[in-house]
Amino acid sequence: MFDQREGGERRMIFNTLPYYLLFLFPAAIAFQFSRPAWRSVVCNVFGGAFFLFFSITAVGGIPGAFCLLIFLWESAFSRLYRKGSWVCWVGVLQSISFLVVFKYWNFLTGLYFGSPQLNPWYWKGAFLPLGISFFTFEFIHYAADRHQGRTEAGTAAEYMSFILYFPTMVAGPIKRYQDFLPKIRNPETDSLTNWRIGVTRILAGLAKKFAIADLMTAFTNHLNQADILSAQRWALPLWLAAYGVKIYFDFSGYSDIAIGSARLFGIRVPENFDWPYLQTSIADFWRHWHISLSRWLTDYVFIPLGGSRVKEGRICVNLLVTMLVSGLWHGAGLNFLVWGAWHGVLLVAHRMWTRWLGPASPSRPFYRTALCTVGTYLWVNVGWAFFCMDLPTAAVFFRHLLGTR
Amino acid sequence: MMIPFLNELKSGLEYLGGVKEDSPESLPKWLQSPWWWGIWWAALILLILMFSGQSSKFIYIDF
Repeated sequence: MFDQREGGERRMIFNTLPYYLLFLFPAAIAFQFSRPAWRSVVCNVFGGAFFLFFSITAVGGIPGAFCLLIFLWESAFSRLYRKGSWVCWVGVLQSISFLVVFKYWNFLTGLYFGSPQLNPWYWKGAFLPLGISFFTFEFIHYAADRHQGRTEAGTAAEYMSFILYFPTMVAGPIKRYQDFLPKIRNPETDSLTNWRIGVTRILAGLAKKFAIADLMTAFTNHLNQADILSAQRWALPLWLAAYGVKIYFDFSGYSDIAIGSARLFGIRVPENFDWPYLQTSIADFWRHWHISLSRWLTDYVFIPLGGSRVKEGRICVNLLVTMLVSGLWHGAGLNFLVWGAWHGVLLVAHRMWTRWLGPASPSRPFYRTALCTVGTYLWVNVGWAFFCMDLPTAAVFFRHLLGTR
Repeated sequence: MMIPFLNELKSGLEYLGGVKEDSPESLPKWLQSPWWWGIWWAALILLILMFSGQSSKFIYIDF
């Protein structure tokens, strides 16, 4: 994955000084001292400036900056949403369309035409607008919940401050409007606690990123075909385990910074991680890993498919489809689909296993808990192979690991 | 015996990482003082500076 995305190394945001000096600290202070009616304006001005600045300097350049128009269009269009109205479905469709065009265009046309040289529809200058995978989820959530009457409309400025809220704009945690709205109207006013907790959380997140996640890069850089083929077999599981450590500390560190940044405004946003590698089953793993995504997928994919209120076979299909969507969302590549399928199969297997044996006893001995934890950790780590390597490289990895090359 | 110890360890780490606001009862009271927070922040900043040379992008920014 490291070498699949062009210009990736430029994409640093939370670990840059401009983020703190130009955006976070001025915005948090302005938000704190502004009158309630102006809070949305502060979020919108800084959110817009943040999007333009980091689009131009890090992601997409000038064309990327023009994608601010997507937010303006969405804010205007969302004013048409009513309970039970078909316009909400148009909103969902257009949100998905934005994502498909920017993220999956070359992947989907490539599936039909083959390599870029043979693909007449290949988009050479393709770029990902900043945070598109995440703001798409918030757009869809708002349209679906307005359709169901599960959230109030709020004002256009309030909705815009929800989608342009820069601490969570780029990579979550994925917020819910009905949770966010009361917080922007009545943020927590104990500034001393907000800043103590917020700054601690940001520093802890940066420490996780710099001191642990980035340290693992020395090992994970070897996950390419040339290094795998020339490596000793014992090194391969270690490199893969290093990737498991890296992605956890990288993304949980990122989430810490986002949550801590929001806290400086006096706003609490959802947690994203809760010790996922200490969980004793794959189902528990997904309740504790990227929590805001898991909940979104449950509410807007799994439950609309019928959830767990249908026949057993259909539940298993629903689980598989949900995890395939999760895989495809993570990246436009067949390896991400396989990664999603891997977790779907694990969830189905876990469901059948627990139905056969009954739910685990809370008073089971420590050694059994430890065994389940290690087992879950190993299954998840095998799955990372499909996440961090394309399929041919993953095939080489497993063939070499199993001694079958 | 092992599980309560691990739970206390988790709570302590969550407090130090800013996930939990209130100090667990098992931790000493001085961990709530402003002096402690100053020292802890300085230690974290030192750690960040020590490792900042190898900084790379966040993985999920590309998603």
